[in-house]
Amino acid sequence: MLAKMNQTRAMHWLGRQLLNRSNPASYFDPLAEAINPMWIQAYTPARVERILVETHDTKTFVLRPASRWSGFRAGQHVNICVDIDGVRRQRTFSLSSSPLLWQNDGVVTLTIKRLPGGLVTNWLHDQLEEGAVLGLTEAFGDFLIPAMPKPVLFIAGGSGITPILSLLETMAAEPFRAPVTLLYFVRTQEDVIASEKLEALAARYSALSVRIICTHETDEPRYLNDADLDSVPGLKAREVYLCGPGGLMDLANDLLYQRGLGEEQIHCTFFAPPVSSPLGDETLGGEVSFARADLNVDSSGDATLLEIAEAAGLKPQYGCRMGICHQCSCRKTSGTVINRLTGKASGPGEESVQLCISVPRGPVTLEA
Amino acid sequence: MIKLDEQQLNELQKDLDAVRDEVLADLGERDARYIRKIVRLHRALEVGGRVMMPFGFIPPVFVAATATLGVAKILENMEIGHNVMHGQYDWMNDPTLNSQTYEWDTVCTSESWRRTHNYEHHTYTNIIGKDRDYGYAVLRLSDDEPWKPWHTLQFINYILLSVFFQWGVGLHELETEKLRRREISWREKLPFLKDFVRKGGRQAFKDYVFFPLLTLPVAPIVLAGNVGANLIRNLWASTVIFCGHFTQDAETFTERECEGESKGHWYLRQLTGSSNFTGGRWLHILSGHLSYQVEHHVFPDLPAHRYPEISERVQEICRKHGIHYNTGSFLSQYQTVLKRVLHYSLPERPARSSVNA
Repeated sequence: MLAKMNQTRAMHWLGRQLLNRSNPASYFDPLAEAINPMWIQAYTPARVERILVETHDTKTFVLRPASRWSGFRAGQHVNICVDIDGVRRQRTFSLSSSPLLWQNDGVVTLTIKRLPGGLVTNWLHDQLEEGAVLGLTEAFGDFLIPAMPKPVLFIAGGSGITPILSLLETMAAEPFRAPVTLLYFVRTQEDVIASEKLEALAARYSALSVRIICTHETDEPRYLNDADLDSVPGLKAREVYLCGPGGLMDLANDLLYQRGLGEEQIHCTFFAPPVSSPLGDETLGGEVSFARADLNVDSSGDATLLEIAEAAGLKPQYGCRMGICHQCSCRKTSGTVINRLTGKASGPGEESVQLCISVPRGPVTLEA
Repeated sequence: MIKLDEQQLNELQKDLDAVRDEVLADLGERDARYIRKIVRLHRALEVGGRVMMPFGFIPPVFVAATATLGVAKILENMEIGHNVMHGQYDWMNDPTLNSQTYEWDTVCTSESWRRTHNYEHHTYTNIIGKDRDYGYAVLRLSDDEPWKPWHTLQFINYILLSVFFQWGVGLHELETEKLRRREISWREKLPFLKDFVRKGGRQAFKDYVFFPLLTLPVAPIVLAGNVGANLIRNLWASTVIFCGHFTQDAETFTERECEGESKGHWYLRQLTGSSNFTGGRWLHILSGHLSYQVEHHVFPDLPAHRYPEISERVQEICRKHGIHYNTGSFLSQYQTVLKRVLHYSLPERPARSSVNA
């Protein structure tokens, strides 16, 4: 172990001396990419083995990551990175397969629903082909199976079922010896993701009961209600796992708190797409979080991030203050900014922005 | 400089902004493919050059290896490093092509370069006293700078600067002229010097110690080849850069005329203070498209391989506003640079001026 660490430290030192970078292997990436993209070192490459159609707007992508990928625990997510029209995009998705599949066959699956207007999900659906290679990060997230067998309730909405598929598959294989209930909300019967898999799971895993509830097959939308929760035996003793759109999560949280379930019993993972600011386009400003400085400041009007930072007493690097020199470029980890020069809005995700010409629209988080 | 009134300057700004917006809206796959292709070519050339070098005891191989490594360094510095650090590819969101994290294969640290070049030079282009790139505080290239006896020999300084160009660029931020005038203290420059020693040491270690020692029996050959490759890059880079602002018609400006200037005036200064040279496709690529210095100065953060296509539009705008678009063949432009270096090595003379400033 120590030898290996020394070896990596030595490699990093040598990489800096010879190639001006700390990861010497990534120097060869441009060549590797041309020969075999699975040799890329800058991220973990994963080849798309198969693409399966789940529903009219959902597909499952079977990926084979390079063998150095460290694997994952059921319920975790990964970031994938893809180049779309020359721009590298990162998005987070839950792994929908069980870790057993990775251990046995070396593949993992992502089950991805097309978001209306979503740049990446639509590209994945329309452009990504079998045989292509995309980038993967290590898995993360703490939406995990309880360490001790306890009764469990899953409440899923739409594509929020994906981490739960991985959890259920894993619990069935163990098997996890406590009652497990799934309340799965979908708009219509057609939107049920992995219905066959859920049926098969319910058939072979006797502790599991599955209820699929359609919200939009009646005139009035039919959301989660007290009766649904009444139907779950021993609710108060259960560990509850929520995954779905914001509306469902809020509703479920409220109903569960009313019934006296404690915060420590409720596990959430957000699955909604990043909501763009509810404010109109003309409304600028918002809370800006400077991560490294550990500072949050409110802003209003068309003050730029650079002005906001300076007003807060920070001294970010800057140059021309007119969008030319990129001295002030900084990584934005979340939030939308408007380019003062072009009036265009940025994406909601992680990217580099020029502080001197970026005006926040809604909350923004910066690495600085 | 030609005088444009406020309204004309606004018009000029609008015209140039329109070109810029059009290119920005069109950035995508094509640009990403281009820069990645160049990066791949650089890797192939550097690996090829270094692998061939130990076999340099065969004279033609020595020439090929040195040239290959030299061209690799030129590509990396000019078409990749310089342009990436301008933020030309930041929109790709690729951490290996990010302006703030890229570190290039030359003595100057990227951080120091971004301060002195991206900020100082590109903001205060050709303003005597503010743009330290104008003559690099070593050469007198305009009568705005008072003549001193040691300027007589500045042609020798010019040759030395070209031969050791990467070290000159690396030390640029030391601001020796201000140290001499005691406007700043050595203590203030300590952090810079530390970075300079670290990066310079790293570059020297790589080319002059590590690779020669790695192939010990032929160490002198590898050392000579690496020195040669660095020399090729130094001479070429310095020549290209001198052609960008020190040609006959490239104008200079005073601090006063640029006080509180508008974006339109900034554009005008970039157009009249820079100069292009013409040539084949590979001449442009190997110059990092600084052969389109005018376009580069007007749009420093647009991907450089776009300059040839933008050039037509820029020339049209120049014609419309009656602005001289400074271009010529590489050799003729370079001749005027040499003339300028020689001309200003002597004290100011009554205007018979073959070189106007």
